[in-house]
Amino acid sequence: MSFDYFNMIIRPMLEGTKVTLLLFAIVIVFSLPLGFLITLLARSRFKIVSWLANGYIFVIRGTPLLLQLLIICFGLPMIPGIGEYLVLPRFTAACIGFVLNYAAYFAEIFRGGLLAIDKGQYEAAQVLGMNRWQTLRVIIIPQMIRVTLPPISNEAITLVKDTSLLYAVAVPELLHFAQTAVNRDFTIVPYFFAGLIYLIITFFLTIVLKRLEQKYQFE
Amino acid sequence: MAFIEISGLKKSFGNQVVLKNISFSVEKNEVVAIIGPSGSGKSTLLRSMVQLETVDAGSVAIDGEYFIKDGRYADSKTVKSLMTKIGMVFQQFHLFPHLTVRENLEIAPRIVKKEDASIVARKSEELLKKVGLLDKSDAYPGKLSGGQKQRVAIARALMMEPEIMLFDEPTSALDPELTGEVLQVMRALVKEQMTMLVVTHEMEFAREVADRVIFMDGGEIVEMGRPLTIFTNPRHERTKLFLKRVV
Repeated sequence: MSFDYFNMIIRPMLEGTKVTLLLFAIVIVFSLPLGFLITLLARSRFKIVSWLANGYIFVIRGTPLLLQLLIICFGLPMIPGIGEYLVLPRFTAACIGFVLNYAAYFAEIFRGGLLAIDKGQYEAAQVLGMNRWQTLRVIIIPQMIRVTLPPISNEAITLVKDTSLLYAVAVPELLHFAQTAVNRDFTIVPYFFAGLIYLIITFFLTIVLKRLEQKYQFE
Repeated sequence: MAFIEISGLKKSFGNQVVLKNISFSVEKNEVVAIIGPSGSGKSTLLRSMVQLETVDAGSVAIDGEYFIKDGRYADSKTVKSLMTKIGMVFQQFHLFPHLTVRENLEIAPRIVKKEDASIVARKSEELLKKVGLLDKSDAYPGKLSGGQKQRVAIARALMMEPEIMLFDEPTSALDPELTGEVLQVMRALVKEQMTMLVVTHEMEFAREVADRVIFMDGGEIVEMGRPLTIFTNPRHERTKLFLKRVV
């Protein structure tokens, strides 16, 4: 393999990597808070609210992400009457699908994290005069983060690879450009590079997450 | 009206009655020890006074203001202002594990009372000195012994400048050799004339520092009086039986 060939295929793949990373960042930024909100709703005293939140988690976790993406990108615009208003730019639609999906998983992770916090923490905060919001913000959430960081890291790494599902809804990303090169040049080298790029991303992500875990050790 | 006035307090968990009909009062600067077998309702009584449990009936007044009147809670503003007068120390400490010792002390005054950082810092230093843990300011609770944790918990409660301190079995979770340091801090509070309600199994401590001892059994106050009377000359059979077992 010549250097020229490497140069030719690596450029579009790096372009695709940008899309991959952008999707990753958007999903992390939006699905974590949304997931936490869903957890809180699932714990609501109002039965109907918690029922809806749990129903949401059930449906999202119980169906394939790929199906959800297909529905949002291609299914919604086909709904008679309102469909024409639901045609979104493909990347935007995919982002929405990913955020909605990952939020459900994060919600479940946060639920476990909250269960792990001793009820004495709430009581101590209460007798010190903190209100619910203050308790959540300064006592509960920081402790929940510590407990949930390992499973969240796991999801984050899965997300890096799940971004390749964009391929199925025809948003050009890393895997798309690799596939194009494979079809065109009849060689598996681009697949190999694509794999390498995913590995590099997860490698750095792992380092960042380990650092975060150390920061939340409280020792 | 006494400083703390409790009358007709009732509380059930399902069909299990935990507080039957509790009435007593506490004067300012008084130290009251509450003793009794486990499951007698001692902890529930203390917890009811800071709204960690809701009662079914009865009244609690603090400093002349009703917190609960005939089973009805005062409006949230009154409740909140009354709660700031009460500090509580738990058997299991309940320190915030993600905050350093100093942060444990300073968090509530900072965000609840919105006190100035420098004032809070001075206060926390003073209190840590008082409980003998100034050198642990920057340690996380995970690195402390049980006795040290409980001393931090006492200092944390004192940061809010309460007029009443409730202790819910403060030494029961400690190794025997660590109870002394906690009791010593509590003795210092007694000397400063803090009004205290102490649920305890430390009979020696109760005898020594309490102005009055309340013996509870089966959700009711069986006997109440001066420590000397209760410990040396109890009137009720149940009190005698209990003391025989624990002393």
